[in-house]
Amino acid sequence: MRNLKEETMKKDILLFNLKWIFILLFILISVIGGSPALLARETGKEVRIGDGKGDWGYPSPYRHYPRGPGYVRMSWVFDTLVWKDKNGYIPALAKSWRYDPDAQSFIFELQEGVKWHDGKPFSADDVAFTVNYFKRHPYAWVSMEAVAGAEANGPNQVTIKLKKPYAPFLAYVGGTMPVIPKHIWEKVDDPKRYSDPGAFVGTGPFKFIDFNKAKGTYLYEANREYYLGLPKVDRLIYIKTGKPLMSLLSGKADLVNIRPDMAKILQKKRMVVIENQRGWNKKLMINHQKPPFNDKRFRKALAHAVNQQEIIDKAHRGFGSPASFGLLSLDHEFYNPKTPTYNHNPAKVREILESLGFQKDARGFYGKGSRPLVVELLASNITVAGDSVTDRDGEVIKRELEEAGIQVKLINMEQASTDARIRNWDFDLAISGHGGLLGDARILNMMISPKVKGSVNSARYGANKELLNLLNAQVAEMDPEKRKRLVWKIQEIYAEELPAISLYYPVSMSAFNPGKGIKWYYTKGGVAFGIPISQNRMTLVE
Amino acid sequence: MVLGANQAAGRFGQVISFSLAALAMIYLSYLLPRLLPGDFVTATYASANVTLTAEQEAGLRAYYTRDRGFGDYLLRLVTLDWGYSYSFLTPVSDLFLGALPWTILLLGSANLISMFIGFLTGVEAAWRHGSRTEKGLVGGMTVLEGIPEICTGVILLIVFALNLQWFPAAGAETAYTDATFFQRLIDMAHHLALPLTTLVLAYFPGNFLLTRNSMMMVIKAHYIETARAKGLPPRRIRYAHAARNALQPIVTRFGLRLAFMITGALVVERINSYPGLGTLLFNAIQARDLPVIQAVVLFSSLIVLCVILGMEGVYRIIDPRIGNAH
Amino acid sequence: MHINVSRDLWQDPWFLVGLSLTLLFAGLALLGPPLAPFDPWDISFTPISPPSAMHPLGINDGGQDIFSELLYAIRNTVAFGLLSGFTALGIGVLLGAISGWFGGFVDAILMRIADIILAIPAIMILILTAALFQPASYILALILASLMWPTIGKAIRAQTLSLRESLHIRAASQMGGGNWHIIRRHLIPEMFPLYLIGFAAKTRMAMFMEASLAFLGLFDPSRKSLGMMIAYALKYYYMEVWWNWLMPPILCLSLIIMGFTFLAISLEKVVDPRLREVLVEKTA
Repeated sequence: MRNLKEETMKKDILLFNLKWIFILLFILISVIGGSPALLARETGKEVRIGDGKGDWGYPSPYRHYPRGPGYVRMSWVFDTLVWKDKNGYIPALAKSWRYDPDAQSFIFELQEGVKWHDGKPFSADDVAFTVNYFKRHPYAWVSMEAVAGAEANGPNQVTIKLKKPYAPFLAYVGGTMPVIPKHIWEKVDDPKRYSDPGAFVGTGPFKFIDFNKAKGTYLYEANREYYLGLPKVDRLIYIKTGKPLMSLLSGKADLVNIRPDMAKILQKKRMVVIENQRGWNKKLMINHQKPPFNDKRFRKALAHAVNQQEIIDKAHRGFGSPASFGLLSLDHEFYNPKTPTYNHNPAKVREILESLGFQKDARGFYGKGSRPLVVELLASNITVAGDSVTDRDGEVIKRELEEAGIQVKLINMEQASTDARIRNWDFDLAISGHGGLLGDARILNMMISPKVKGSVNSARYGANKELLNLLNAQVAEMDPEKRKRLVWKIQEIYAEELPAISLYYPVSMSAFNPGKGIKWYYTKGGVAFGIPISQNRMTLVE
Repeated sequence: MVLGANQAAGRFGQVISFSLAALAMIYLSYLLPRLLPGDFVTATYASANVTLTAEQEAGLRAYYTRDRGFGDYLLRLVTLDWGYSYSFLTPVSDLFLGALPWTILLLGSANLISMFIGFLTGVEAAWRHGSRTEKGLVGGMTVLEGIPEICTGVILLIVFALNLQWFPAAGAETAYTDATFFQRLIDMAHHLALPLTTLVLAYFPGNFLLTRNSMMMVIKAHYIETARAKGLPPRRIRYAHAARNALQPIVTRFGLRLAFMITGALVVERINSYPGLGTLLFNAIQARDLPVIQAVVLFSSLIVLCVILGMEGVYRIIDPRIGNAH
Repeated sequence: MHINVSRDLWQDPWFLVGLSLTLLFAGLALLGPPLAPFDPWDISFTPISPPSAMHPLGINDGGQDIFSELLYAIRNTVAFGLLSGFTALGIGVLLGAISGWFGGFVDAILMRIADIILAIPAIMILILTAALFQPASYILALILASLMWPTIGKAIRAQTLSLRESLHIRAASQMGGGNWHIIRRHLIPEMFPLYLIGFAAKTRMAMFMEASLAFLGLFDPSRKSLGMMIAYALKYYYMEVWWNWLMPPILCLSLIIMGFTFLAISLEKVVDPRLREVLVEKTA
């Protein structure tokens, strides 16, 4: 073997080279593949939005998932009568509108020359048809409870008649209801199963091209004949990404939702970070139908036992702010600064519990007689603005309650299971969360009244008659000042009754790449009736 | 490593065993719905991210409790009627065939590359037994063999994707690009690079050591002396004669790795968010999406069977003595 | 044979390194948790803090001390591996020896069963079981052992077959030693080196599986594990945590598995007669 040294030396060089070839290939691929310019079209701009979940259903009124991001994906394709931008209501399909108190109707003057994506002309008939269709086939996002009917008066004017005065009309109907084409849907009897291409014909700034459920991607193309102006990009794409920061920095996405601790790093890399007002809260749901929770004083003791700021500090590294106990956001125009608050006060807890007959046992836990007070707390992954977040709120709250003397059994479940148990009143306490706190004050009805069905986050509290009357009155009060006073009183009573305890508002942020020339923003009051998301249709329209 | 009739018969027995195993797996996946504790439909879908309407629930129950027998099950499999995924709302075969190419691409290339590199370097190293190169290589490879793929995968991801951003941190290709075929290929290679490197680094030290050891054992064998006596140049000696005998364990390994391809790269797929069968299986398990789980378990059993049988053929090719034994 | 094996072993640097690593981590597994400065489930510290004097590795996202977490995690991983390895060894030795010694029908059945088990992908069974039934971790370790014993079983069987023909075994049998007596007192002690190899290899694989399953999040979330720590640390990739939260579990996991790998490799080298020939030649 040794006398083959020359041969072996040549072989060494070959092996040596082999390794280098491999390494070079590695570098080559990374460099070439890394340049996004190679993959972009020569003509045409596109913008990509990154999302953690990806699949929010087909962008058609009856097919998208019943949560904010699902609605938003549909809103690119389907227009509404009015819309909101950074500052307030703006015209959409309706160029002007007014309320006629005598006729209890809203009259909309519609834009002219609008065409559906399939080329057919749009008219007031379509709007009237939409209203009546949604009355016959309820669509979860539009409440037709106060609408009597709609009629077209000519090609460009439509009158929507109300059954009674309804203050949230513009928010919940005018600004949320997607208008669907009569010539397609008049033949559809089962909208939930309708999946022909016709289901995606709208008047919006983008046409729906493709949706891949498994990959969680959406593709839209610009509607060049959009009546409000040419869209700023040719293609709009949603991608699914578990690493929003990475996607934004590497150019795979141009807009993403981020966690607050990502902000500094992104800003250093010259990304723009925007922060939303506080429209989403974490809430402690209480089963006020069973003892001891049916006693208002016990619920107040719970409020004193919980330390809102500690939850923010321990579970969210200080990102967040304590919530108002009156449910409406601190940033809401109808927020009542005199809403009762409950500070973290273990002494008060002791006072209340002892007045209710509880005694502390040897281990420091309260109980009545021989029965210890044990409370079951359900916690789960909650979807915030589309991204599922695990957090330790449950553990922190458990500790706080136990320090105050209330034993807690903490159960972590998946969100669907928690939702199911809450719906069936099969729980003691549960941690939940929802948005809409910046939108129309009707959110209070949705989250308090047992009569308004739909949200699993509703307290469904019917014990206080005055509260229920006020809730009914506020949606019928068309005068903003009078309505504000009603809403103030509602918050006061709600904070007194405490059917659920609002915990905190997490920090909600997005980041985008300014290099694309698009300035995303958070809509005041939320998109549609209050979705706290940074994707507003108008951002992409000139 | 003389292969005789005995071992050939033994292999036949092995084929039988593997077939039985595959059948057992198929039967297991058929039984899966019945094995789950409690009322299967509630248990499954209570904690899934899918809320079923009352009719869907009733339909599912009817579907699963309707025992149409094992034979019907097999038949439906063959005709690709694998059912409907409830968490993705698409036919299972679509999901499966969408993820399969990526897995084959990743595992196939990883195995091929690590086989070649491991084999070549192993042969060369064994030939240079005693030299510094060999000692260094063996040392390095032994250390590398000891590092699990989680560690290499995470380190590569952190360094090359997250810090240097030379490679993407997720996905198999960029969505909705209007690029040319060649550009798409580069894009796919770009996404493939990290998981591929992780797997190659995990597989090839073992191949190297195996080859080297096998080579060392045969280096002294008689026929090598014969070849050298005949005056053949060293390269031919090495590869034609010596390597051929070391080839068998390597090929076995290759085959086995390919056979277990679905789960072979699961962790690496997760680290790099690569949309292969491993990711599909994992997501299905998390969502308790039984039709998908059944299909994947099924398919993996069938692959094992096919590959084992295929390897028989390959053995015949690389070692004609098996054929002669009959 | 025994004396030679020992001498070669102790001179092999890989064996020494492997042994030290293994003993080190076994020691940590045993003594670590009692010596941990904090209770790893204590969430009272400020989350994601860099290392300090009190917390040598800093704090994780839940407010727990990373160093204490690490010690408990090492114990869980090592314990899982050892339990699985031992059990696989036990089953493999027993069934392999029986198979080789008795031969015939028993042998055929056992080997067919072994082949069938070999064809089943262990990780898939483990994942399915862990996700759908959520058993305790030691049950998973035992399930894994029941999937790993075939390779050991076959090696033991092969060795038993050859030993069966050796002089002293035949003598013992002729002198009237019963089957079980011979298996217990003669066969099993003879094959000691094989055990070490099998044990090292299987423990290594078991720990690897445990880390993978933990990384995928299939264990009880309150159970500390190296794989789980890596998965959590990875979530915060954008913060400066890679060196105090991500690298320690990666390093520990690599070192543990490396230790067992070196043991297995050096043992194989020394015990395999064909390899030994070459080694002997080297020193000549």
